[in-house]
Amino acid sequence: MLLFVFKRLLMALVVCVAVSALSFALMWLSGDPAIAIAGSGGRAEDAEAIRIAYGFDRPILVQFADWAFKALGGDFGRSIYFNIPVSEIIADRLPVSLYLGLMSFALALAIAVPLGVLAALRPNSLVDHIALMIAVLGQAIPSFWLGLMAIVVFGVWYGLVPISGIEDWRGFILPVVVLSYYAMPAMMRITRSGMIDVLNADYVRTAYAKGLPKRTVIFRHALRNAVLPLVSLSAVQLGMLLSGSIVIESVFAINGLGRLAWESLLRSDLPVVQAIILILSLVYIGLTTFSDILNAMLDPRIRGTD
Amino acid sequence: MMGSSFKRCLLGCATAVALTLAAGPAVQAGKDDNTLQVAFAAEPEPLDTYKIAGRQGLILARHIYDGLLYKDLDSGEIKPALAEAWEFTGPLTIDFDLRRDVTFHNGAPFTAEDVVATFNTVVAPEYGTRYSISVDWIDHVEKLDDHKVRIHMSKPFAGAVEMLADALPIYPREHFAANGSEGMAREPVGTGPYRLVEQIPGVRYVLERFEDHYQGSPKAGASIDRIVVRTIPEMNTQYAELLSGSLDWIWRIPPDQARRLDGRVSIISAPIMRISYIGFAPQALGGDSPIADSRVRRALLHAVNREAITEAFSGGASKVLKSACNPAQFGCEQDVVTYDYDPEKAKALLAEAGYSDGFEMEIVFAAMPRPVAEAIAADLANVGVTAILNEQQYAAGVGKWRAKEIPGFFSNWGSYGIGDVVFILSNFFGGGADDQVQDQEVIEWLAVADTASDPAVRQENYSKALKKIAEEAYWMPLYNFNVNYGLSQDLNFTPHPDEFARWWLASWK
Amino acid sequence: MRSEEMPEEAGAATSGKGRALKRVLGSSGTVIGGSVLLLMILIAVFAPWLAPHDPYAQSLTDRFLPPFWHDASHPAHPFGTDHLGRDYLSRLIYGSRVSLTIGFGVALISGVIGIAVGMTGGYFGGRIDMVVNFLITTRLSLPIVLVALAAVAVAGASQGLLIIILSLLLWDRFAVVSRAATQSLRSREFVIGARAIGLSHAAIMLREILPNLKGAIIVVATLEIANVILLEAALSFLGLGVRPPTPSWGLMIAEGRENILFDPWLIALPGAALCLLVLVVNLMGDGLRHLGGNPIR
Repeated sequence: MLLFVFKRLLMALVVCVAVSALSFALMWLSGDPAIAIAGSGGRAEDAEAIRIAYGFDRPILVQFADWAFKALGGDFGRSIYFNIPVSEIIADRLPVSLYLGLMSFALALAIAVPLGVLAALRPNSLVDHIALMIAVLGQAIPSFWLGLMAIVVFGVWYGLVPISGIEDWRGFILPVVVLSYYAMPAMMRITRSGMIDVLNADYVRTAYAKGLPKRTVIFRHALRNAVLPLVSLSAVQLGMLLSGSIVIESVFAINGLGRLAWESLLRSDLPVVQAIILILSLVYIGLTTFSDILNAMLDPRIRGTD
Repeated sequence: MMGSSFKRCLLGCATAVALTLAAGPAVQAGKDDNTLQVAFAAEPEPLDTYKIAGRQGLILARHIYDGLLYKDLDSGEIKPALAEAWEFTGPLTIDFDLRRDVTFHNGAPFTAEDVVATFNTVVAPEYGTRYSISVDWIDHVEKLDDHKVRIHMSKPFAGAVEMLADALPIYPREHFAANGSEGMAREPVGTGPYRLVEQIPGVRYVLERFEDHYQGSPKAGASIDRIVVRTIPEMNTQYAELLSGSLDWIWRIPPDQARRLDGRVSIISAPIMRISYIGFAPQALGGDSPIADSRVRRALLHAVNREAITEAFSGGASKVLKSACNPAQFGCEQDVVTYDYDPEKAKALLAEAGYSDGFEMEIVFAAMPRPVAEAIAADLANVGVTAILNEQQYAAGVGKWRAKEIPGFFSNWGSYGIGDVVFILSNFFGGGADDQVQDQEVIEWLAVADTASDPAVRQENYSKALKKIAEEAYWMPLYNFNVNYGLSQDLNFTPHPDEFARWWLASWK
Repeated sequence: MRSEEMPEEAGAATSGKGRALKRVLGSSGTVIGGSVLLLMILIAVFAPWLAPHDPYAQSLTDRFLPPFWHDASHPAHPFGTDHLGRDYLSRLIYGSRVSLTIGFGVALISGVIGIAVGMTGGYFGGRIDMVVNFLITTRLSLPIVLVALAAVAVAGASQGLLIIILSLLLWDRFAVVSRAATQSLRSREFVIGARAIGLSHAAIMLREILPNLKGAIIVVATLEIANVILLEAALSFLGLGVRPPTPSWGLMIAEGRENILFDPWLIALPGAALCLLVLVVNLMGDGLRHLGGNPIR
């Protein structure tokens, strides 16, 4: 078990290094950062001075190590556009995205699990078909389009909810609903299939045979085992919700990390983009590593396979 | 099952489409409770006039604060505001007699101390006034007596009186000293016709009419009791609320939407000083581009249907420009060579210049809507010229222009809102960094016109320059901008070309 | 931008009867999905003959004509015109070309990359597999929409470049599936036999193992096509995908956005087209998965 955890953590660490190298490379692929910082009015001499002042004249590996260690301490450099530390901007925006992501995740879970269980209890019933239909649609509708249509119908025509900005909690209603619908289908399907597997397993049949009440069997025995795949998927989905919010945040004009990333890209503010890519990747790595270890602890069979 | 979910999606899509035909709800207007409901798309900045640049915040600030003087845009006349009279008492001193019957919103009386404290604070570099140009001409202010002050100027500044006209507000001394810039913004206290009674920054501002606003104020006579200003970033929500009556005043409506709203609400289009243009750079690319040939430039002017483009994308008070300036500006000669829309003539001119098969040229555009650029490109394509559109931030675009990298630059110019061609022509044709033409004749005429004091001499030389600019087709002037206001049909409101809304002049019908 | 999760099985049916039903339904999904998809491909191929107008032709006097269900519609433009007076039906028809080209193009290239990577790892195992596992994990850790946006912003966005960038980012699912399948096949008798008669590793992988992955790969490919189509639309919507004036459905939604109050059909129509295409591709994928049993387990 310890060896598995160790191996998993080691892999996570190596991946972290690779991901940070990739996001560091972005800056260099986009051209000379010194010219970018010097700005449009900058002359060649200005760029040269900046090159030396920022240390862009050093070997690239040294620069990478320098950047990575500073990033480790939360220093991602300065934003070219705002001319303030990137970490300050991110600290400002991250909570909004976290809130949006977590709320959507909770809503998706709250709908997906009961629906998946219901569908699994009666395969091919009306409930099952409706659930599947919702899932199939959810996987086909682009979330930004759903968001815009929701804005048209609920915000503009009926004025039920504010449709842009987040003055108060009501501003979160539409984005949370749209974002959760984006994450829900996969969670619903995996709950359903997990549940069907478990319900057919011997121990559940035995429990029924022993004459235990149906409710006890379903909630005590079946559901608990059916959530295993859901745990892994949830980690993936949560990470995705954070990065997937880039589209939703720009549709609903929410000042979160995603919108910041998008706007920074449009104004070529690459230090900000770099930092956001790195942060989102690290969150994802952390979540999946955690869920793998959690899964291994819940299900001893997994440990042997890696 | 799969079939049914498929059908359901079609149904869903169809429903979505069908729903687009439905209509919105209705709410009552603000006339009944004498409250003006206003929306801005961008949020107002903190309400310390000295620190902000956005129109939204400045408009609110001008309702709350007063300056020493006021400019009546309708008559062009400078009027007394907090100062009753003023006089240049020396080359670098101006004396002001202050009004005696003025009180601030918090009840404090207005005295010379307030003027002294405000100006002496904001001129200090450490205060961080946003535009140093607005205050750096003031060295310090001296109190002569309780109602008399003297401004000591640090340098001669022709714009001093204009600047003192409502752009430099007077803050109450004690409140300002105790709370500083942030405190002023958190709890703005002025002498203006409205006082701020509630603010949730970025969300909602509530102004209430100040009953003790001083007699004889140029901003006197406000008739609306309350003004509620909200930030609504999505314009479509603003339209919906305006239509349903929960908003009475919105602005900066794009022409297409203004056209749709017209008739259902009242739409006013007001021209402003800003104009759009395509600048050609004969000097770009080493002077070795088709653009260096005046026949090609004339061909491009004939190729673009500027009437249709102006009508489609600007509309309202906008007109196609004849010469390289806004007709509202002093010196903007209108009797120049014009180029009507004539693709055949354009093709002939191109053939004459040796480009019968057309050519490719890069046009960088900045701070202009993409559809306008695409429409221009489509017109150019009709005569065989392939325009490669490249959208840039303004600074980056100007950088490429100055670096002589691009033959054409499509953007706009506001002349700082001032009605004199000196603020546009010298920049683009006076021989400076933005002048990619470097026509010596034009440079000389402009030099004479810019420095002469006799208006007739100025006019004559500007006229010569503008005639040559048109003759040589150095520019493709497009149209002057306008701002569309969307108003409740119960509201009387007069827009001004400086884009400062004056709600104290508004009233219900 | 769609789920990164493995295509999970749709759930074993409980009884023989249920399983049979599922088969039939699965295949009817394939039939319906497949025929609509075929129809859309034909529309894309024959766009120049089907489109009533040049999708790029502007007419500034005919802007924002409403679609046919409005009274004020114009018979020459059944789906109305956009902000530049371009025929919306023609743009919608040509838009299918962009979606399908990018969808199939990326699925093809990323399929080749992913299968090569996955099979190599699955076949050789050991250190090589560790590297492959590392590559897959790293790729999965990257926030895909953002990285794609950044890559496009840095590299520029011609349609060909867009296909290459997305292909370099979306090979992971192919790799995961072919790796797992190869792992389970490499100790089978026919592989061991092939090795015994002296076939090279490359020959074994290509001739013996690859044909066995066919079913799984086709299923992944359909899912991936749907995934790519949605991703392209999102990138174009955000202004960093296909460049104007090319008619892309995502871009058309972005261009119609300013007018959602007065002309919501400008975003409703391309969105509906997008929905339909992704739906039929997914239905085909689901159907194929049922038909072929469950190749990815």
